This record gives sequence, structure tokens and C-alpha cells, in this order.
Amino acid sequence: MQRRYRTVPDLKQNESALTLAFTDPTLAGKLTAMGVLPGVRIELVRPAPFGEAYYVKVDGVRLALREEEAASILLEA
Amino acid sequence: MKEARGKVPKIALIGNPNSGKSTVFNQLTGLRQKTGNFPGVTVEVKEGRLRFPSGAEALLIDLPGTYSLHPTSSDEKIVTTVLTNPKDDFYPDALVYVADVTHLEKHLLLFTQLLDLGLPMLMALNMADTAAEAGIKVNTGKLAERFGVPVVSISGRTGENIQKLLLDLEKLLNGDGHHRRSTSAFYPLREVEKQVADAAQLNVATGSPYHALLLAHHHAWLPFLQKQERETLAAIVQTKDFQSLRVQVDETLDRFDRFTPIVRQTVSQPSVEPTTFTDRIDTILTHRWFGPLIFFGVMLLVFMAIFFGYDITGGWVESGIGVMIDAIGVGLRENWFTDLLTKGVLPGLQGILVFVPQIALLFLLITILEEVGYMARAVFIFDKTMRRFGMNGRSIVALIGGGACAVPAIMGTRTISNWKERLITVMVTPFISCSARIPVYLVLIPVALPHSSWWTKSLVFGGMYFFGLLAALGAAYTFKKLLRTSDPSYLALELPVYRMPHWKNVWLTVWEKVKAFISGAGKIILYISVVLWILGNTGPSGALENAEAQVKATATAEMSQDSLDDLVAAKRLEASFAGMVGKSIEPLIAPLGYDWKIGIALLSSFAAREVFNGTMYTIYSLESVGRVEEEEAANQRPFERYSRLRRQMRDDTFRDGRPVYTLATGISLLVFYALAMQCMSTLAVVRRETGSWKWPLFQFFFMSGLAYLCAWVAFTVLSR
Ligand SMILES: Nc1nc2c(ncn2[C@@H]2O[C@H](COP(=O)(O)OP(=O)(O)OP(=O)(O)O)[C@@H](O)[C@H]2O)c(=O)[nH]1
Repeated sequence: MQRRYRTVPDLKQNESALTLAFTDPTLAGKLTAMGVLPGVRIELVRPAPFGEAYYVKVDGVRLALREEEAASILLEA
Repeated sequence: MKEARGKVPKIALIGNPNSGKSTVFNQLTGLRQKTGNFPGVTVEVKEGRLRFPSGAEALLIDLPGTYSLHPTSSDEKIVTTVLTNPKDDFYPDALVYVADVTHLEKHLLLFTQLLDLGLPMLMALNMADTAAEAGIKVNTGKLAERFGVPVVSISGRTGENIQKLLLDLEKLLNGDGHHRRSTSAFYPLREVEKQVADAAQLNVATGSPYHALLLAHHHAWLPFLQKQERETLAAIVQTKDFQSLRVQVDETLDRFDRFTPIVRQTVSQPSVEPTTFTDRIDTILTHRWFGPLIFFGVMLLVFMAIFFGYDITGGWVESGIGVMIDAIGVGLRENWFTDLLTKGVLPGLQGILVFVPQIALLFLLITILEEVGYMARAVFIFDKTMRRFGMNGRSIVALIGGGACAVPAIMGTRTISNWKERLITVMVTPFISCSARIPVYLVLIPVALPHSSWWTKSLVFGGMYFFGLLAALGAAYTFKKLLRTSDPSYLALELPVYRMPHWKNVWLTVWEKVKAFISGAGKIILYISVVLWILGNTGPSGALENAEAQVKATATAEMSQDSLDDLVAAKRLEASFAGMVGKSIEPLIAPLGYDWKIGIALLSSFAAREVFNGTMYTIYSLESVGRVEEEEAANQRPFERYSRLRRQMRDDTFRDGRPVYTLATGISLLVFYALAMQCMSTLAVVRRETGSWKWPLFQFFFMSGLAYLCAWVAFTVLSR
């Protein structure tokens, strides 16, 4: 059975976790170039007011990610 | 590698988004800059002249901000295209890499990629002022040594060390900079990359191995590759089973692994990261309820500022040019040329200039919001909403800009990476009520609702903006269902820290937008004004003279010279080609409740919508009154303006005695003006941005068809 990893949308507000890997190679290219690397700490600052996007913080840098972008980031348990 | 062409050297500024590149560009070039287009593609590039302390000059090119040479948007593709093609017009002799020193690590990916391309390069560590405040210390000497390029610590904001940057840059151009040769790449290619790069180097002439690798990665879209080169590269990639996307990610990670230790050795950062000012503001500005609420509040303020700005400055410009027209009219002899000048060209010019203050004001406000860092938050908040309508959070900036003028707003859609989202934004932005509609609404609302209170009229006026927005969203939703694309779409947006605006940036951006309006919209408005003047002043042989003679023959003695002139002008217009067209389309527009006079006004509105007013004055024999009333308008409350014209319109009847202007006609006209595509300048810009006439033509028929349909429905329902 495949283990289900947590992803960024599973985080609670202000919770943070270490990133592990990405599920989508295209998004991985974009995210890594922006400094979201495997093994960095990512914090969910808050969801967007109307949903489907997240305000996150990685290494002191603030990013806005869409649902599918955020969900493509696998987190360590 | 020195150019023997004897031309000025070319230097490209490059860096990540938000590195402060544009600020540095403005510091280096000031007003000696212009915006052009990369040939063939619709991404704009800014170029400027740069003068070294020695007096020598260079051309400075501002490349779009990007995170990596493996691009994801059309903006970013430009960078890779230019830097992998030595034959490109913009291929630089040297690079200035702008990095935000407060997040140096984030900015080194692209930097080390460029190192491996092997162009002479200088690193400008920007935001030295912020770094100093935050207690960040950088050992620039050591950085320079580790990377093998000159490093200068600067501030685009305070201008600190800009002179030193210029000195070092000139040295670099003259070959004295300690520029590392490409023998030792920063990132040693992995086995599969090496094989692909070697094969590419054998078959397609290239510089460094990394250059060859980039061609292999991106052969499918790099526009300068020959068909045969493309096929060769495709074959190489295929035979080596080269998984481009995965390899790109591995490369990125490997590069981070290599430069992270260097950053650790050269940058000392205070370790604790306090909850900052930006975080505190964002708890409110991106709050679940306050966030959207504040956004709407800000927009309300922005649009009120524009309306009242129009109210005040529009009057000044109108009367200023009115005075000029009168003066010229007096000074010149009366002939067709004077007439063309005072009734065609100058009013056309007036039609352009009245909008300049509002456009400047709206873009001033947008630019401030952008500079401060707020726009990125708006994009974040509304990304979902915009996506429901087939657009992108970034579209919100264009839609707001459309409230002043669609022309610069549409040019601003270039940051949207997904073609479909961008196209939809371009197609629906002209539905947003632009400033040219304001004067038309101000005439038509009181005509439609003569007895309503000021409040009702204001409400209808606001409702027109809302109606435009609804139309834009409705159309966008329809396009979303109809268009297909395989382009990936991203939000992935950096939310910059809040900063005080840097005023030099603000002024330069506003100036750029106003220039875009004047050169993009202005020229066309001017041409059309001349064409319309010709249509309105020529007719089948003898027709105009006949009309004039007839008026004079029947004129009574009590008529003043002014009213006689006005009557002549009205009859001449009726007999002219414009009048003929107006009359011939009467059957077409009769279902909407319009007569031929409105037909002429609709026709002339193609220069700029507000020409409607001027045409109405002429048709109703009020030309001389019109000039007075336009000047008086500045001192009157909005819905009290143009009173003689409105009275005349209300009194007008069809041939069978029914009044022309009823509630139904008024509303039908308002609906028509809100929806119809009546702006040649916008169509021209859409053509430029989409690269063909297909989309502007479609837009024209779609918007005008919708306008016709809705105006017809409004008229039919209301006149029952
Ligand atoms: N404190 C400080 N702020 C700066 C400096 N340089 C730029 N900024 C600010 O940083 C923000 C981003 O600067 P831009 O010049 O627009 O950055 P850019 O790299 O051109 O960004 P894009 O236009 O998104 O590509 C603006 O608010 C600038 O005022 C600097 O040296 N110090």
C-alpha cells in the first residue's frame, strides 16, 4: 500500500514542516527555482480569503501558491 | 570576445523578480530610456543609454526578471532566447547580475547558470541599505573570489556605489575584470547531461557545454533554431533518453547544494527572524474578511479619485484647448485647412489630452500600490476568483487599469504566463468602463432620467461601472468554456516585503504608461478624427453647398449669426457622407430606438467615445453653444452639464412625432456605449499583443454584437 504523505494544504495555520519531494516535475521546476527545495522548512501562514491558494513562508521568503502548487509539495511526517 | 563592429557595447541587466532590477536600471539611465518590443514576440524590453565616468557610452538592456534559465512564462523565455543566441540583436557583451543581498541564496541559481554560460559578468548586490539596517554583513571580496566575478554592493534606492558599479563595469568591458574562463564550470554536468551536451556541441555550433545543454533542453521552442538543428537536437534527446524536466530539477538542486555553503561562508546574518512589519500588516491585508474588504475600499477610493480628477482636470484641458482653437480660428483665414485644423485635428488632440491627467492619475495610484507591494496581495486574494473566469490573479491589475484606458492596461498583461488566461484578459478588459465613457454617461444619464434625483443618477452612474465589470466577467466565463490550451498556468508568486514607494520608479513608470497611451492610442485617435472630419465635410458633389444655400434662403431676419452658422453646420453634416451613412444605417439601429442622428454619433464615436458629445452638438445646430457649455462644465455639478444639448435632445421627435429620447432610448444608448467596441486604438493594441488581426476582429464583432443585442433587449423591454 502506498503511504500517503502530507502536503502543504494539510498543514494547520502557522504550522510548519520540512519538505520532502514534489509530485509534479513541471511544478517542481518552478518551485525549486523559487527556492522551495526538498528539506527546507515551509510554514503555512494562512489560506487565501476565498480559498484555493496559500500564503506560505520559506526561509524568510513569502510566497503565494495555488492549491495544486501547494499540494505538489510532499512533507515529512 | 570583443565586438569588432565599432558599435557601443551592449550590457544586459538580469536578475530574479523583485531583485530591484528596474530600480537599478532607472538609476543608471534615468530618462534616457525607451520601451521597445523584442522582434516577433510581444514581450517588452527597456533600453537605455548609460554613460561611464570616462565618457564612453553603452546600451543598457533590462531583461525580464526570471528565476532560472529553464523558463516557464513567455517573459522568462525571452531571457533564455537572448542569452543562448549570440546572433540575437540583444545579445549582450556583458551582464550585470542584480541580486537582493538580503536573500542572497535565493538569487544565486540564475547567477550560477549564467556563470556557466560564460558571458563576462558583474554581480551587483542590491539593497545594501536594507542589509545594513538588518545587520547583514557580506564579505564581497570573498564572494568575488569564490565566483570569479567582480562584486559590488549597491543600493538602487539610495544610489550608493552606483558610480563604483559603472567603473567596475567599464573595466570588465575592457577585459580587466577578473572574469573566470569557462574552463571550470561552476556546475559540472552529470553523465547524461554531458553526453547530450557533447552531441549537441558536435552538431549545432555552441559556446560552453552548458550552452549546448540549454539548447538541448529547450530545442522545442527556442525560436532561432533552424528546422534542421531542432530535429537534430530532438533526435539527440530521444536517443539519450533525456528526461528534460527531471534533469532540470536535479540541476537546480545540485546548484543550490554547491552555492549554499558559499553563502554561509560569506554572509553573516543575525539568526533570529523576528515577526516583521510585513507579517503584521499582512495579518490584516490578507485576512479572510478584512483583506477583500480593504481591497474593495481601496478600489472605491481609486475610482473616486479618478472621477473627481476627471471632473477637475478635464475641464481645464477642455477649456485650455478650446481657447487655443478659438485663437487659431481667429488668426487664420477661413478656408478648408483652418477648418480641418480647428474642427478635425485640434479636437482630436483635445480628445487625447483630456484623458492624460486621469490616465496618469490611475497609473500613479496603481504604481504606488505595486511599489508598496500591495498588488501582489491582491493577486493572491483574487487568483481563485479570476480563475473561475478563465483568468489569472494577475489579470486583476489589467482590469483595474482598464478603468482609465484599455490601451496601457492591455499592454500590462504580459506578466501572465498562460496564453489562454492572457488572451481572455485582453479580450474582456475593454468592457471595463474607461474614462472616455464618463462624458457620454454624463450626457445620457440625465437624458434618460430627466426627473430623477441626483442620487438616482449617481447610482445609475456607479451601476454603469458595475455593469461593465459584469459584462467582462460574463464574457471571460464564456471564453473560458470555448478556448483550449495546454500551457501550464502558475500562481507561484513572491509576496515582497512592504516598502515605501521609491518615487523615481513611480514617476518613470507613470511616464511610460502615459507615453504608451499617447503613442498607442493618440496617433490613431488623431487619424480617425481627420477621417471623420473628411466624412463630415464632404458629400456627393454639390450636396453640401445646396444644403447651405437652402438654409440661407429660408433663414429669417431675426436669426443671429451664431444660430445661422449652427444651422448651416447641422444641415451640412446631414448632407455629408457621414450624414448619409448615418441615415443609411437608420433601419439597422431603429430597433434599438435610435434615429439617424444617433447613427452619425455612433459612427464618429470610433475615434474616441466622447466624440459623441461634440457630434450631438453639431447635429442639433448647437455647435457654438457646445463650446460654451463644454467650458462651463468645469463649474457645474456632473449631471447639470450640457443642459441646452439635453433639452434639444429631449425635444427631438421621429418623423411620426414620437419623441426620440425616452427612458428606453436613453438606457438602450447607455447599454450600447457600455458594451460596444468603439475604440480603434484598443483594437490596434490587441492586434499587436496577440500578433494577428484575428483576435481584434473577433473582439470587435463580439463586443458590438453583444452591445446591439443588449441594447435591443433594453429598448424593447422598457418601451412596452
Ligand atoms: N530598500 C531598497 N529597496 C529597493 C532597492 N532597490 C529596489 N528596491 C525596491 O524593491 C522593490 C522591487 O524593485 P523593482 O526595481 O521593481 O524590482 P524588479 O527586479 O525590477 O522587479 P520586477 O519588476 O518584478 O522584475 C521596489 O519596491 C523598489 O523600490 C534598494 O536598493 N533598497
